[in-house]
Amino acid sequence: MQPEPALVARHLERSFGAGEAAARVLRDVSLELHSGEVLLLMGPSGSGKSTLLAVLSGLLRPDRGAVTILGEDLWQMSEKARERFRLRHFGFVFQGFNLFPSLTAREQLEMVVRWGEGSSRREARRRVAAILELLGLGRRAHVRADQLSGGEKQRVAVGRALLKRPRFCFADEPTGSLDWGHGEQVIELLHSATHARGATLFLVGHDPRLVPCADRVLHLVDGQLSDEPAPMPTESPS
Amino acid sequence: MPYSLTMICREPRRYLPAVVAVAFSDVLITVQVGLLLGALAVLSLPIDHSGAEVWMASRGALSIELGHPIPESWRSLLESIPEVVDTEPYLYGFSYWRKPQGGSEVCCVIGSRLERGALGVVSDLTPQLRTRLTEPGAVVVDETELERLGVAGVGDVAEVAGRRVRVVGLVRAMKSLGPPYVFCSLRTAYQLQPLFRDFPGHTMYLLGRCRTLADAAAVAGRLRERSDLSVFTREEFSARTQIYWATRTEAGIGMGFTALLSLLVGMAVTSQTLYAATAASLREYAVLRALGIPRRRMAGMVMAQSLWVGLAGIALALPLILALAAGGDSAGARVLLPSWLFALGSGLTLGMALSSGLAALRSLRYIEPITLLR
Repeated sequence: MQPEPALVARHLERSFGAGEAAARVLRDVSLELHSGEVLLLMGPSGSGKSTLLAVLSGLLRPDRGAVTILGEDLWQMSEKARERFRLRHFGFVFQGFNLFPSLTAREQLEMVVRWGEGSSRREARRRVAAILELLGLGRRAHVRADQLSGGEKQRVAVGRALLKRPRFCFADEPTGSLDWGHGEQVIELLHSATHARGATLFLVGHDPRLVPCADRVLHLVDGQLSDEPAPMPTESPS
Repeated sequence: MPYSLTMICREPRRYLPAVVAVAFSDVLITVQVGLLLGALAVLSLPIDHSGAEVWMASRGALSIELGHPIPESWRSLLESIPEVVDTEPYLYGFSYWRKPQGGSEVCCVIGSRLERGALGVVSDLTPQLRTRLTEPGAVVVDETELERLGVAGVGDVAEVAGRRVRVVGLVRAMKSLGPPYVFCSLRTAYQLQPLFRDFPGHTMYLLGRCRTLADAAAVAGRLRERSDLSVFTREEFSARTQIYWATRTEAGIGMGFTALLSLLVGMAVTSQTLYAATAASLREYAVLRALGIPRRRMAGMVMAQSLWVGLAGIALALPLILALAAGGDSAGARVLLPSWLFALGSGLTLGMALSSGLAALRSLRYIEPITLLR
């Protein structure tokens, strides 16, 4: 028997702007995600992939529809409760690394544990050391972010997302700022780390080389989900 | 080390303008008030350096400079109080000093008894100087006032209110804030102050010494029951003189405004620097917000940074204050720095830095995790 889905999204709608100029980015989007699954959402630039990620992860309220995660309706919660929910269950990786330039790799991660969970410095240090080792950054823990390479920075960002052992990890174009070699390394780490923790990975990207990493691939075409990619634009006969 | 301090230590250039602004405010406030205190202390020097414990003056005397002649016969009032063991008249008033080479200068003539144990004479006059002052027309001035008075030194002569005077000695650290002090005997002072030609048998003040210093307040209180005169203890009259000058003259108010202005300038620079530093980290804060870290943590970070900036500014200000005070003293401008003034300056500037932090918190409104998505 198929287990209960960890995330259920039903009839999501989201527009930007008003009146005739309004752009409907999400049109009646529904999907289910299971624990431990890696879902890759693909689509051309501006197709609304990031908007769907934001709606599913509690960062952007939909105009219509519901998102139920772990049995709770995400958009019926108060803002405070949603914030606490994100703290407990969600990790994020963005295209930009967004690390404090003057803090070391270790400090970036310790900050999340100490501020998020109120852990002691010792506890934070122990957990951060473990994840930095996992990410192959054990020897770079004391290096400031502005002295790390792009690949190292994104690995720190992955560590920041997974440190709390989240049930869901949302990654928006995590390899967008990296060459393919480093990008592949980051994706492999993200994949193995989420799998190892039984977490669900919702990956947004447009690079076809990400496809082998995913358990399932969906395409966002004209604001709707599809199993097939958008047809390539054809040249009109002159 | 907290993250807030770590960031400041590792990016000193980013926070330097705020630290300098806090230091600038602290230096300006402390040195300004120190200068004001120094000036006020100079104003009440004749009171503070005298041996008189009780000062009797005309009704409503607001400061030592604003007395009016009182009958010398009131001395019996003082003497009638058992706790009072000694009394004497004291002259204080303005006159004109005519320079030997022409031109004149307003001066402040201070006449008192000169004998051993006299009440009004300032302690800076040595026994030798007091002896010399017993000669008619003998005066003592501060050594820094010689040029202003148009005399070269001891032995030079000039005229005050048409009477010949001779400089018989010099004192140090008795430079007046306004007209130069001219110290002399009571007899000489009566001749040098034209006002007393119209008020024979009058004096400007009557001074008293009590059996014990603790009796002074009670004596003053008892005499104050009379409505036609004012009586103060030494400390009261000194404070009254200083407060009058600080609050009623434009110089005192001006210094207060300058101190306030420096606080405002410091606050503007500090808040803008902290705002810019916070705004530069908005994307990093936005990731933390996405991860569910409460906004209060970021607010705490900004406030902690403002605290560290304030403390660093105060640490930078301390040696500057001491150096400026030493420089002021050597240039003839006394800067008094009691420990409470350091506490006041530090407290005000630290409060300013924290207020700047509060003002910089507005930048946190712009933290929106959604902006991180492409």
